[in-house]
Amino acid sequence: MLEARGLRVTYGAAPAVDGASLSVEAGGLVVVVGPNGAGKSTLINAIAGVQRPSEGALRMEGTSLLDLPAHRYCDHGIALVPEGRRLFTGLTVRENLELGSYRAAARARRAQSIDEVCSIFPVLKERLDAQAGALSGGQQQMLAIGRALMALPKLLLLDEPSLGLAPAIVLELFRVIREINGRGVAVLLVEQNVAAALEIARRAYVLEEGRIVAEGAPRELAAQPHIQRAYLGLH
Amino acid sequence: MPSATLLGQSVLSGVFIGALYGLLGLGLSLSWGLLRQVNLAHFALAFLGGYLTFQLAGRLDPFVTLAVTVPLFFVAGIALHWFLSRYAANMLNTLVVTFGLTTIIEAAIQRIWTADFQRMESIYGAIRWKVGAFYIPFPELATLLLAMLLCGATWALLRFTDFGRAARAMTEDAPMAAAFGVNEKRVGYVISGLAAAFAAIAGVCLALTHTLAPVQIYAWMGVVFAAVMIGGLGSALGPLLAGILIGVSEALTMAVTAPTWAPLVSFSLLIAIILFRPARF
Amino acid sequence: MRFIAFAIVLGVVPFLGLPAFYETFLYLLLHAVVLATSWNILSGYSGYFSFGHGAFFGAGVYTTAAIVFNYGWPFLATLPLAAGAAALLGLILGAIVFRVRALRGELFALLTLAITFVLGTVMLNTVDGGPGIQLLADIPKIAPTASGTLYLLMLAIAVATVWIAHAVFYSRFGTGLFAIHDDEDVAEVMGVPTYRFKLAAFCLSCALAGLAGGIHAIFVSYVTVAETFSIALAVNVVLMSALGGTRHWLGPAVGAIVITALLYGFTAGQAPVLGRALVGAILIAVIVLMPQGILGLVLKRFSPRAAPRPSSGSERKLVLAPTPNSEPILVARGVSKAFKGVQALSDANLEVHRGEILGLVGPNGSGKSTFINVVSGHYPADAGSLVFEGHELVGRPAHRIARAGIARTYQIPRPFAHLTVLQNVALPPMFGQVTMDRASAEAEAWRWLEFTGLAAKAYVLPAELNLHQRKFLELARALASRPRLLFLDEVLSGLTSTEMDEAIKLVRAIRDQGATIVFVEHVMRAVMELTDRVVVLTYGKAIAAGAPREVMRDPQVINAYLGSAHA
Repeated sequence: MLEARGLRVTYGAAPAVDGASLSVEAGGLVVVVGPNGAGKSTLINAIAGVQRPSEGALRMEGTSLLDLPAHRYCDHGIALVPEGRRLFTGLTVRENLELGSYRAAARARRAQSIDEVCSIFPVLKERLDAQAGALSGGQQQMLAIGRALMALPKLLLLDEPSLGLAPAIVLELFRVIREINGRGVAVLLVEQNVAAALEIARRAYVLEEGRIVAEGAPRELAAQPHIQRAYLGLH
Repeated sequence: MPSATLLGQSVLSGVFIGALYGLLGLGLSLSWGLLRQVNLAHFALAFLGGYLTFQLAGRLDPFVTLAVTVPLFFVAGIALHWFLSRYAANMLNTLVVTFGLTTIIEAAIQRIWTADFQRMESIYGAIRWKVGAFYIPFPELATLLLAMLLCGATWALLRFTDFGRAARAMTEDAPMAAAFGVNEKRVGYVISGLAAAFAAIAGVCLALTHTLAPVQIYAWMGVVFAAVMIGGLGSALGPLLAGILIGVSEALTMAVTAPTWAPLVSFSLLIAIILFRPARF
Repeated sequence: MRFIAFAIVLGVVPFLGLPAFYETFLYLLLHAVVLATSWNILSGYSGYFSFGHGAFFGAGVYTTAAIVFNYGWPFLATLPLAAGAAALLGLILGAIVFRVRALRGELFALLTLAITFVLGTVMLNTVDGGPGIQLLADIPKIAPTASGTLYLLMLAIAVATVWIAHAVFYSRFGTGLFAIHDDEDVAEVMGVPTYRFKLAAFCLSCALAGLAGGIHAIFVSYVTVAETFSIALAVNVVLMSALGGTRHWLGPAVGAIVITALLYGFTAGQAPVLGRALVGAILIAVIVLMPQGILGLVLKRFSPRAAPRPSSGSERKLVLAPTPNSEPILVARGVSKAFKGVQALSDANLEVHRGEILGLVGPNGSGKSTFINVVSGHYPADAGSLVFEGHELVGRPAHRIARAGIARTYQIPRPFAHLTVLQNVALPPMFGQVTMDRASAEAEAWRWLEFTGLAAKAYVLPAELNLHQRKFLELARALASRPRLLFLDEVLSGLTSTEMDEAIKLVRAIRDQGATIVFVEHVMRAVMELTDRVVVLTYGKAIAAGAPREVMRDPQVINAYLGSAHA
């Protein structure tokens, strides 16, 4: 469904992402792990249209996304949950959700979508009229995911959702991600927290210094020395 | 100490003038708060609108002239936004460009209508009602009603519509808004067009209630900026409320002391807010 | 010296017997030059755009007018008072406003505008009383005519003002102002006493405006509030400076001459209204074509790209600090810092030993960068104590922390965008532990540019560097103040393998010269190779400290990074 080939994203002369290729099948749950500085955020931002690759190909169900302006990406079924949430703090919870369904096709189903999001995240239901900026870290993360779901995506992109959250909340979060995937939404997740990520993934990539260095089933990857070396510096 | 009637009439005229401050401030608040562009030419545009109304007043009812000026100014607003986004990347340059535009418009006004004070004659000028001990002139009342209508409608637009949410989201985080489908350019054009259209409407009210002269363009800048800042950048109701607050305080000051102390009120208020609540901005 | 020659040449004018019109025109020209140039000293150089120049000009006007009218003083004697009154006003305003971090940009502009109106209103109701003040002053006979004398006085002030702008431009003070313009917080951390400098620039700017005001009172002889405290003056000085170029000492003068000449040319001509429209159009055209102003464009064309580098002399060893022993150079106890509800540092305790390379590691969001920000004074700590070589750092302004011998790099490089690479690196030595003059600072900067391999890019602006070079610029800038304690915030991320090897060698060399280094890094390979000790932070607390290999095998640490499955 989603195919990225040879993506290269640069800041100046040094590439943050250097020839990365990956794919996500319809309904799949794919995880990209890697140490900090590996380029995970840059990679996902490039797929979401927030950053422009200088080279490479990006296709969603056959359509080349790189030819489109940034505000058209969501029309092709892509929704982003960015690093640090990036909620619209000046808007209420409800308004953030409504903005999530800004695109025409999602607008029609808005009321239904809000109900669905509230059933996945009951805590949001109670705080629909609160300012988004007043929520706790975990609640904000849920709102960010809810906002993305409102766009009725085929592919949900999550950038380090566990950042800054307590371990208990992280567990709950990943359970929810699995549930969302169960409803048919493909998920591409980048994470620094290897354990939680590999737990739910069906397929995983390891990103190091802007390149994909390993790919496969989570259990296999976890056993490989790659992870140990990359994260802990142990040989 | 002036009589109760005098004070009451002062409050009333303060409300009326404040409504005009608010109406003038509405467009400025939108473009400054939502687009982060300080448009000095807003005042010149309002006066241009006033003069155009004055020009057409012989043949058309002043309110009917809006049918001409509003669409025209809406387009002008779009063009201005295009130009500023393209060529004036920072605040300083925006100020220079809009000031240059002000000079051009002012010169054009003076060329066409001379530097003399012009007073628009209309049937509305003579209409006024007496309610109890107070006089309520129609042009001023019309201004108040228009201001309330427009500010209220804009507030509703920003609060309840998709467009309003998109504009507010865009101001805070444009790339994220784009990720959800908000076309930043298009939203910017509409807001800028609206701001200019509001200038046209403010112009009609100016023509109805005041004498027009090119030099007057600068007289309103200070107090309207104050109203916008006190009311909150990007707010629709704020400038109106702040404008009325300023207008009433000025009027009361004038009634109790000398008229020349009036400007102290708005600017001291502004200074106080800036110093003690800078986080609002 | 050319200033004096210039002054003498122009000083001849009143004696040429020209019609008064010319003297008046030249007077107004010089008047505009003084106002625009004085405005630029604060606003152009430091970026604090003031819309209140009219207030200080007006203070000068009314000081002179009031004293001459009420007390009959000779007007020359009132001039120091006019300048003083304006400067005092600026001092009071600046003392309040410059302390508040949030009052920058548009807010400062509007605050100063509001001051103008307030002062005008107060003047109208007190000193002036309404109808204005009519002055019949005795103008000393320095030139054949009265207008000639006033012209000469304004000439003297104009030359002085431009000379002052020139002197500030090339001085350490000016460099500090330009740094404040680009990034005030970083300038403060690099040792620039930002509050003091801003206040000084403001007072200087106001005093000169006040001085011009004093003379102008006599020139117009009939002083009114409406004319003096108008918004026109405030806007005009901004326009003149923007037109000519705010980043150069001569820019405002150029802009002032162009605009005044244009306005006069048109007003005196047949179509004054058309003329004003044309001026507006020219303004727009110039800013569109030359966003940096006239001088900005001209100088770009003619700036030297690769001037010869000063002779290096003997290659003496670069020594940073005395030889190490293992006592703690920095002790952090109970340091806490929260941002909007997120507790970034939570009662953190750690020690840095003299002469070591300490690795500061931890998962994302664990508080590493915040720790650096708090130690360097970029942010104030909420609680706790930080003792550096026996001195408490908490509560000290950042520029004093820099003076004490601490330097840091920024994770995302924050160079001063409008200063060249050389100027960036030369700044800390000018404001660091030993405040050097410009020449010595640049010589010092050259050494560090060579050390980090950036010498070839010395005259380039930071925007033209790639990420690797920008990181090394951060490094060179931090080193240039010869710190005893150096914080490196992720200098290695984003580098290729070879670049990283180079960087690792560099860091070792820095330590070998005696600095103590705290090294925040995610690239574990580098941490293992370089560090003597490692401290692990999670959720704002230090959970382990010790030799690298032991610490990274600690189950608690593994848990923090990878989760309990791997422990």
